[in-house]
Amino acid sequence: MKFNVVSPENTKELLELISVNQDRYFRFGAGYTDLLIELKKQPDEDLTVINLAQLTDDIFTAISKIADGFRIGSLVTAKRISLSKDLQSNYSVLTEAAKKLASGQVRQVATIGGNICTASPAGDMACALVALQANCEILNSNGTLRIIPITDFFTGVRTTVLQKDEVLRSIVIPSNNRKNKIYSNFIKIGTRRAMECSIVSLAYHILTDEKSIITHAGIALGSVAPTIMLAKSACDYLLGKSFSSLNPSEIKEFSQKILEYASPISDIRASAWYRTEVLGNVAKSIFEN
Amino acid sequence: MSQSIKINFTINGKRTELTIPPYMLLIDLIREELGLKGTKPGCLEGECGACTVLVNGEAVNSCLYLAINVDGKEVITVEGLPVTPEGEIDPVQEALIQHGAVQCGFCTPGMVMSIKSFVAQCNKDNIIPSPDEIKKAIEGNLCRCTGYVKIVEAVESLF
Repeated sequence: MKFNVVSPENTKELLELISVNQDRYFRFGAGYTDLLIELKKQPDEDLTVINLAQLTDDIFTAISKIADGFRIGSLVTAKRISLSKDLQSNYSVLTEAAKKLASGQVRQVATIGGNICTASPAGDMACALVALQANCEILNSNGTLRIIPITDFFTGVRTTVLQKDEVLRSIVIPSNNRKNKIYSNFIKIGTRRAMECSIVSLAYHILTDEKSIITHAGIALGSVAPTIMLAKSACDYLLGKSFSSLNPSEIKEFSQKILEYASPISDIRASAWYRTEVLGNVAKSIFEN
Repeated sequence: MSQSIKINFTINGKRTELTIPPYMLLIDLIREELGLKGTKPGCLEGECGACTVLVNGEAVNSCLYLAINVDGKEVITVEGLPVTPEGEIDPVQEALIQHGAVQCGFCTPGMVMSIKSFVAQCNKDNIIPSPDEIKKAIEGNLCRCTGYVKIVEAVESLF
């Protein structure tokens, strides 16, 4: 495994390096927990790694409260997300996903931007962000910013809308409008509880008013399709219903709507049949526990 | 591919300057450049934790860490844990011995470093961890011999 490394220390240097490397093969490295494993398996090529680990600009490295929600820099680590009290009280789906990601050693360095850009259908934090219907703030090498919903970010297994001259700068999570209570959690099913890549994951973020009526629902599914899926019709189905008194037939109908988004494969971790059964049961468990 | 990069860092309390290839992994810096063989190469893909070291006090997998990124930082390996003039070893190591929590010993240096960082965090937050919290703290360290029970008991004894 051999490659060159360039280490920008600020946004300006980063954009220049993206620009000058347009004709070369380059990759971004941040936490390296995915990239190094991938590069170890590849034959040596004339590769340049743009090392983001020494970039210190707040816009890439901070969690900040903004007028319409929270902005998280793409270099914020899973560990920092898991410890953020602001995120825990507003978006516990995200902090729970961060806590369940891999191990302490990995969480210490793995970044939220990396979890998104690696575009795995099993990405834990990415799944939570789809449930939260976050927006991705993408910079191109000219410094132009474009904002796209995370639901449009993934185009397939390990592919995204990012162009070669673009970098994911930050993520914005919208405010919890008109909420009385927040039901927000990340359910991860694996064969063991530690260091596990999920067999099925379900992220939900549901807001209710003072009468327990559901006013907002975001539900995302991981590891059951080529990309993380927002189960839109299942979310819409919940609107106007009472969170605490869904009847068994409504819960069943909700679960069936969730399953419409699943097209799982059988692989070394689980069979397609098992994934489907588990997903249906996990979906019901939101309202049954 | 002739690029090389100069880094300044602290290893086990000693300031060090080295010029290394940019693709060098932290585990190779520690074992091959510095000759510190206590840090073990296991799976080399972040699953087993045998290569765990502390960077600025936090446990990381040295097999998935670019060595150039320790520039300006403090690295502690198992060799860097203090031994008193009377020969007393680190309390974490002593607890593992006292509880019979070491069998083949290959996972032990990594396990010790994960426990070190966890104990420091608990002490800072004034927390006495539950057995489940201890298990969570060592989730990134595989041990194929002990079944973990004695390791968890050893960590409990530190509080």
